[in-house]
Amino acid sequence: MSFSFASGLNEDLARIAASLRRCTVLVETGGRTRGHGSGIIWSTDGLLVTNAHVAQAGTAAVTLADGTTTTARLVARDPRRDLALLRVGADLLTGDAAVIGDPSTLRTGDVVLALGHPLGVPHALALGVVHTVTHSAKAPYVAADIRLAPGNSGGPLADAKGRVVGVNCMVIGGLGVAVSVDAVRRLVAAVRAKRAA
Amino acid sequence: MSTTLETLSNDLAAAVEHAGRSVVAIHARRRIPSSGVLWRSGLVVAADHTVHKDEDVEIGLDGGRSTRATLVGRDPSTDLCVLRLADDSSVEPASPARAELRVGQLALVTGRPGADVTASFGVISAVGPEWRTWRGGKVDRFVRLDLAVYDGFSGAAVANAAGQAIGIATSGLSRAAAIAIPAFTVDRVVDRLLAGGGRTGRGYLGIGTQPVRIPESVRGRLAPIGGEVPHVGLLVVAVQPDAPADRAGVLLGDLLVAFGDEPVADPRDVLAALGPDSVGRTLSATLVRAGAPITVQIAVDEHPRRD
Repeated sequence: MSFSFASGLNEDLARIAASLRRCTVLVETGGRTRGHGSGIIWSTDGLLVTNAHVAQAGTAAVTLADGTTTTARLVARDPRRDLALLRVGADLLTGDAAVIGDPSTLRTGDVVLALGHPLGVPHALALGVVHTVTHSAKAPYVAADIRLAPGNSGGPLADAKGRVVGVNCMVIGGLGVAVSVDAVRRLVAAVRAKRAA
Repeated sequence: MSTTLETLSNDLAAAVEHAGRSVVAIHARRRIPSSGVLWRSGLVVAADHTVHKDEDVEIGLDGGRSTRATLVGRDPSTDLCVLRLADDSSVEPASPARAELRVGQLALVTGRPGADVTASFGVISAVGPEWRTWRGGKVDRFVRLDLAVYDGFSGAAVANAAGQAIGIATSGLSRAAAIAIPAFTVDRVVDRLLAGGGRTGRGYLGIGTQPVRIPESVRGRLAPIGGEVPHVGLLVVAVQPDAPADRAGVLLGDLLVAFGDEPVADPRDVLAALGPDSVGRTLSATLVRAGAPITVQIAVDEHPRRD
């Protein structure tokens, strides 16, 4: 009996978990709106993405995959899409920028993975499948049959290639719901256009 | 080159796509639609507890089209019902797999609680022998699924990794676990409902019962049933007026200890004796009334259809 398929799966899962870990950070905000969640390194110039409900203050403490902690400044918030952009000094940033995938290629049943800090457990991996896809610009969400918990918020949902396709933001009826990275792209473009102007 | 995980992902997505083509949305209750499976050409199998109307049921098909269906029959005992599509020309029926199920096999519950197909992924968690549901239905295998249950679960196709339907999902038969009704049980119920003109074909007494321990003083006056004097009987806590038990003289407060010459210690024992072949027969029931055993003859009726 050969277990080559299962051992291949093991290697793929471990490889993707390791790569997601390098692009996932812990986000903590203090003060009146104390909370914690996850975040994704969007680009190596220091731009991070998380949920608006995680980044409710002007600054946040960000812990990187290597354990170093730095302070991030809030750059933009879009509460309607539950997205926020944070910035840390590029010189202080360790880890990798996330490889971004294309949510429009997802099919119902496709394997997805989530990495985050559910209920404070650091760098926890979850495995599931796409529950349903609605290819509509009005509803830029991916619903996944995956077990998420508070603390996954702001962390990556990745496809079977390990490419980030969504930002986990809530649990509805047991389903993990992620905002599509298309919405993040639009927010990043809007912020960059504003800076250039 | 694809990695193993990508291969798995592609296989699962292909299985959902294949199974999803014959999964329909059934608009026959408030709130969200439930799911059903086009089990044979023109015939949809759904979860009985989710279908609250019999006529002019709106059915959402793959690809966004919709049609209408009419109820053929219900079997509440297995939580299945069958609907006939008004227009079935365009949808390919499911390809049920009737091979023995094995613990650990991948399972994809493929539903359609709306326009789009949904998937829930897990494994077959347990496969047990034939069992009887709490409503008395006979199911050929106890199939427990280890996966998450979402809206639209009941009536969805339980697909294997090849996208073949190995059964119908229901949350109406167990509070504790996700259950699949295996394909051969679905076949049997569909055949019976079609042959019986949609009647459930189950026997009916019209009583509600509650298990109680029989006091020793009463046991001393009972004859052995099936080799032993029973320890537990069924207290009659409801009698439907003008139903078979009422007509036979069964009274509220009677203690039913045997039915059809078999001991009854659980309401399911009574249901087990009320299979399709019991309809029209007269069966004897042993009751304890005022501490003394009596026997009555009950002419079993067919279970009335739910309105």
